[in-house]
Amino acid sequence: MGSFKLGGMTFGSLFKKPETLLYPLETKPAPAGLKGHIVNDASLCILCGICAKACPSDAIVVEKKERTWAIDPFRCVQCGSCVRACPKACLAMDSAYTPIATAQSCTVLEVPDPKASA
Amino acid sequence: MDRFSQVFNEVPLAEVHDLAARRAEEGWRYVQILAVNTEEGIDLVYSYMKDGLLENDTVAAVGADDAVPSITDLFLEAFVCENEIHDLYGVAIENIAIDFGGMFYQLAEKAPMTVVSPEQLAAREKAKKIAAAKAAKEAAAQKEQAAPAAPAAVAGPTEEEIQAKIAGLDPEKAAKVRAAMEAKAKKAAAAAVETAPAPSAALTEEEIQAKIAGLDPEKAAKVRAALESKAAKAAKTEGKGE
Amino acid sequence: MGKATVIPFGPQHPVLPEPLHLDLVVQDETVVDVLPQIGFVHRGLEKLVETRDYNQFIYIAERICGICATGHSIGYAETVESLMGVEVPKRAEYLRIIWHELSRVHSHLLWLGLAADAFGFESMFMHCWRLRERVLDLFEKTTGGRVILSVVKVGGVVRDIDATQMAEIISVLDGLKDDYTKIMNTLLTDTSVKNRTVGVGHISTEDARSLSMVGPFARASNLPYDVRSFGKGAYGDLADFQPIVATEGDCYARVKVRCLEVLQSIEIIKELAAKIPAGDIEVAVKGAPADGAQASNVLEQPRGECYYYARGNGSKNLERMRIRTPTSQNLAGMTVALKGCDLADVNMIILTIDPCISCTER
Repeated sequence: MGSFKLGGMTFGSLFKKPETLLYPLETKPAPAGLKGHIVNDASLCILCGICAKACPSDAIVVEKKERTWAIDPFRCVQCGSCVRACPKACLAMDSAYTPIATAQSCTVLEVPDPKASA
Repeated sequence: MDRFSQVFNEVPLAEVHDLAARRAEEGWRYVQILAVNTEEGIDLVYSYMKDGLLENDTVAAVGADDAVPSITDLFLEAFVCENEIHDLYGVAIENIAIDFGGMFYQLAEKAPMTVVSPEQLAAREKAKKIAAAKAAKEAAAQKEQAAPAAPAAVAGPTEEEIQAKIAGLDPEKAAKVRAAMEAKAKKAAAAAVETAPAPSAALTEEEIQAKIAGLDPEKAAKVRAALESKAAKAAKTEGKGE
Repeated sequence: MGKATVIPFGPQHPVLPEPLHLDLVVQDETVVDVLPQIGFVHRGLEKLVETRDYNQFIYIAERICGICATGHSIGYAETVESLMGVEVPKRAEYLRIIWHELSRVHSHLLWLGLAADAFGFESMFMHCWRLRERVLDLFEKTTGGRVILSVVKVGGVVRDIDATQMAEIISVLDGLKDDYTKIMNTLLTDTSVKNRTVGVGHISTEDARSLSMVGPFARASNLPYDVRSFGKGAYGDLADFQPIVATEGDCYARVKVRCLEVLQSIEIIKELAAKIPAGDIEVAVKGAPADGAQASNVLEQPRGECYYYARGNGSKNLERMRIRTPTSQNLAGMTVALKGCDLADVNMIILTIDPCISCTER
């Protein structure tokens, strides 16, 4: 038999704010440092390829001849190894998650040639 | 206050069951059994623990025909590891208390962990080369000790030393360093023959290659420019001096 | 005197949390014999060590299990550091243990919810997971991930917890402790809970010892084995650590041990947060493990003792990495506990050993 032991908590939750959010009308603000997706500042990138070697899931492909840096956000596991390995600090982890999509895609970046512009 | 310690022992295959019986009597806990696929065979490591001491008993190089006795009559919980080793490595373990007969994991291939992938093969070749280079170096050192009358000029790096140096690097870098060192060897030999005066401060193209072999492109370009200007200056002073 | 029937249980079953298959030999609703079978989620992760070097493999080791992810990354990193002779700074050790104990709190709260759900107490399940959300929010703030933290690396940790974040951790844990104590008292004193768990799935101390059981499963049968009492790393700086032990050896004892461990972990985190030294959080690790070098390591995961083994071959890829998880050790104990129980209690007993089959099979 026993008493209604969770009674206090249950009664209180009738009046307290619910623990859940009315998503997508309300969203939780992303905390700083949330591991969302990788962004590359193309003006600093030197196409050395160290990020591609450090990646544990082979998500980054660097083509030096074509001067492109590509990342497959669906293979990326947001570990941050590339961000730490980059010698020029041009990679950063942004706190927005990759939006859901109906098809997989790669993000390809064209890295401008510093010698050409000079 | 760290009471944990670990020990690795070697144990012959015939003693595995007796060792397990002794451990059970003395109150040791069974921890696990694991297998490693090596070139000579499969190494089995049995682990037991008592009061913070972890003993790993290795049975080296179990062949495909060797029958390993099961320890599930003493430690029933070993059946998980023994079935797993039988499925993944193809080791024949006899008299497992709960024997799944190869259907524990229901894999697509038999003994998949014994399939050596190309990467592992490359790593094993590399390790063999390093060992060979080390052995050759020691042999050469012994020979030098035996024959003290060595030429005064510094001999260029020998083939063994080249091997030793590049054994640990990846292919691109290895090729560059090898080219540099062979050039150095040639130069040193030429210098020894000519008994030339103090070696010139100028650096040749090969040495430039050696220096920039490991740096990333921007830095490499800078270093190359610096070395080339140094070479030009040295050539000028040499020309003036003569 | 009925005939024996064989009832297949799992891997898909509404109350079974893990993909485990059992063939229950049942005679008139009493289980007479059990044959367990696993192998439904074998991913062959240990073979991936050949294609990922020792720095990259830590991300695979983390993903062996979603609940004990932090523990696996710490155990792997410690084993490779022991293999290469790397010494990690003190602050990094403390930070790792703080995250590991937080992971224990979240794992036990998850388990408590599942255990309550197993005998139909769904509102308890919701309350436990609501409290667990606070711990996951802490993880998100300090590491950037909720479940897979990716914050440990060979040589130390990647992120630091500064003083404001540490104070926030303590205040959230204090609030959690108050709410959790109410729930815990409900669970442990309610008569319907006691009816379902007392006397069910009994394992004696001798059986526990001879079957080498580990974790809260063994500690509930009066076997005081806990890797944390060896005092490795930051655990050695704790003032006093006593493993929580219960003597009854049945499902109720296992529930009690895990409930009390949550409170113990909260106290450990508070103590370490007060004692944490300043300093570096990582050391640079260069080179590769030597050919033929071996190292082994044990760690106390939420489910018990986990064994790690690494062997090097001179290159950046390890020759062999072996992780033996606590559930694979406890499977035999589970088989013994299930003999003689009622058919309705089967899932309760399986849940109280806290199975994690994805860890077991890797």
